[in-house]
Amino acid sequence: MIKYSSTRDKLFDWTNIVLLVLTALIMLIPFLYVFAISFSTYKEFLQSNFILIPKTWTVEAYQFIFESRAFVRSIGVTVYITVVGTLVNLAMTASLAYALSRDIWAKRLLLFLVLFTMLFSAGMIPTYMVVRETGLLNSIWALILPSAISSFYLIVMRHFFLGIPKEITEAAIIDGANDLQIASRIILPLSKPALAAFSLFYAVIHWNNYFSGILYLNTPEKWPIQVLLRQIVTQNEASASLADAQVLLENPPPAETVQMAAILLATVPILILYPFLQKHFAKGVMLGSVKG
Amino acid sequence: MKTNLKLLAMLVLITAIVLTAAGCSSNGNSTTNKKDDNNVANSNEGKTAENPPATDSNKKMTITAMKFVYGNIPPSDGKGLEMINEKFNIEYKPTLVVQSDYVQKLSAVVASGNIPDIISMEAPDSNFYKWAKQGAFLPLNDFISQYETFKNVPENVLKTFTVDGNIYALPHYFPLTYTSTPMIRKDWLDNLGLQMPTNYEELKQVAIAFTTNDPDKNGQNDTYGIAMSQNINPSMAMGAYWDPGAWYNKDAQGNLIPGIISDARKDVIAWFADLYKAGAITKDFALMNWANTNKEFYSGKAGIFIATPRGMSSEYMSSLIEANPNVQLEMIPPFVAPDGSQGFSSSSGYYKQVMLSAKLKDDPEKVKRILELLDYGRNFYAADQMTQDNKDFDWINGLYGVGYTIEDGVVKKESEEKGLTPAAYFDAIPWAPNDAANGYSKQYKVPLLSELTAKAEKMHAETKHYLNPGSQVFSETRAAKSTDLDKKLFDDQTKMIVGEKPISDWDQMVYEWKNMGGAKIITEINDAVKAASIQGEWK
Repeated sequence: MIKYSSTRDKLFDWTNIVLLVLTALIMLIPFLYVFAISFSTYKEFLQSNFILIPKTWTVEAYQFIFESRAFVRSIGVTVYITVVGTLVNLAMTASLAYALSRDIWAKRLLLFLVLFTMLFSAGMIPTYMVVRETGLLNSIWALILPSAISSFYLIVMRHFFLGIPKEITEAAIIDGANDLQIASRIILPLSKPALAAFSLFYAVIHWNNYFSGILYLNTPEKWPIQVLLRQIVTQNEASASLADAQVLLENPPPAETVQMAAILLATVPILILYPFLQKHFAKGVMLGSVKG
Repeated sequence: MKTNLKLLAMLVLITAIVLTAAGCSSNGNSTTNKKDDNNVANSNEGKTAENPPATDSNKKMTITAMKFVYGNIPPSDGKGLEMINEKFNIEYKPTLVVQSDYVQKLSAVVASGNIPDIISMEAPDSNFYKWAKQGAFLPLNDFISQYETFKNVPENVLKTFTVDGNIYALPHYFPLTYTSTPMIRKDWLDNLGLQMPTNYEELKQVAIAFTTNDPDKNGQNDTYGIAMSQNINPSMAMGAYWDPGAWYNKDAQGNLIPGIISDARKDVIAWFADLYKAGAITKDFALMNWANTNKEFYSGKAGIFIATPRGMSSEYMSSLIEANPNVQLEMIPPFVAPDGSQGFSSSSGYYKQVMLSAKLKDDPEKVKRILELLDYGRNFYAADQMTQDNKDFDWINGLYGVGYTIEDGVVKKESEEKGLTPAAYFDAIPWAPNDAANGYSKQYKVPLLSELTAKAEKMHAETKHYLNPGSQVFSETRAAKSTDLDKKLFDDQTKMIVGEKPISDWDQMVYEWKNMGGAKIITEINDAVKAASIQGEWK
């Protein structure tokens, strides 16, 4: 911060600091609340209004979750989908983006097709039918292949590749490199920050995806964590009819402490990724905005 | 150069993964299919060894199903599933979907033309009638009389599932008279020297006294009257006359109207508004979900909530007893209405339904197997038949000592997540001859809960119930629009309770509701009621 002596500037700084701290607290408190409830006893939760620091700390909720095979298994499924899915995404996106950044045959047509899917999507049922007809139904690949390339990220990545000075590739061509060599030895190494940013984008999408899981996967053993989490948490919602109230009574949702623990367990792993990738992430946001 | 090599290695790795991925995926399809076949083969192997070679009529058949489940999802290879396969000589393949997203998945599956043999739905909604008209389901008319348990479904209930003379669904049992009605903290009444309220004015005084007079005698101002959630639930209807869901009251032309737009309801809303001002109902009820509202009551903050004989939570009740050892609960009996009637409205008498795929029409043998399975699941067992000596009961609950145990006469089932019981895999809901036969109150382990539900059973047995004509007929407009229309009414009425809108806006609200399609619903329901010559009976 630059030091100014005028009181007006100081006042401005302090107002800023106070406001920002307040905003940060507003963002943090819900997390703290979730955290606190997940570690408090159900009885304490029932009997108090608002908990930020539990009186008695307990890991009962976590024990309950880890005793359920389903939760641990579905975390495994999600990790698998995220890791493999992101690798597939990167490979597919980078290779098409690279091709489209070169002078190839029918480039304009291909670009148009990519753009077209960005503006018009097929909708749930046609997509479901495609997945079914390709035999992907009830396979984990149904969550990976249909979304192997995001057209938006593809276009951004292509712009990034275009931003790499032509002279470098030309030099490589003179040295006798073919397209594959140019991609692997020049373009991709120069794009490391971009690739890191895109892998984070893709990973977050995979991690948070639940609807494809519900739609395409029929056996509970294959469900990713978000499907399970949704089921644990949304069951709580009241609806208008008395019959529903009765149904809720008969199928009580898991205790809130368990719900909060589940939320935390399903969020934290992907949250941890952020600090590590953040410097790339910030750069990634600017990608393609200015051509070099 | 070194980094380049590393990168090249990375690229090769990525390509390799992608290639294997593509390879896997194409294999994946066939392997998933093959796997299924293998399963069939595997499970067959065990049996063909002991069974004589299959003839045509006892050939093993694959039966697919789709149903929704709540909390605990049983595994796809559970013991209960094996038991079903063995007993009915089928390869039963249920797809279990979480309830919250079931409708969307079902829509996709039906629209893609890949309808499973057995389909479950929560209610006869607009999708049901649409698909029925499109011929997605198998007409069941001929089968109803062939199976004992199917005959238990009352004629007028079946009418709801009839389209162009064809019955397309079998509903499941739901207590007809055991609705959720208000209960009250008797210990609080006693502490304050108050009597059980017998009309709305008295109930209001009690609710306000609960708020201001420290009914739990702990010296703190930490209690209030009625625990309430969003959508004005509980409705605090102390009889069919006030029930928002009952088609009881009539308009000036003599047509039945839904309770939620009646003048009786208007009075209840004004009554709620008074209580809200006095702080005697949950302050932020408009934002409360059902679990939070339960918490308000079972933590001992609120003194009035609802209860019903079936499906009360022992966990909630235990936590209430722990926090308030002296708690006593009582059901509030129905009030005498201005027209002299006294009694609660009944429910529709069913909940959840099952359909068969129309594709089965050329496969009577398969239909027979499916219906046998469904019929078996609907068998009713009275409380004294719930023992391991009753073979059918024992089987459907996964055999004594495995799927369930009996402690002090109370059946204790294993979690469905383990998949030990056949009942976890299909809708095995017994159709009880009458509500009382279920003996719900005897199935609770918490004594206070047994006591309370027994009182509720007694109250429902001793009072009359209004058979709601509105739940016995179908209205297309209602099926299509009721969700939006109800929401509008709940929103407006909530605003009236919290004082954002004056009660005098009531007529305007009803007028808008009628224009949005409400008038059409009223016409359709009244026409249907007349056509079926249904009287709004008390029973």
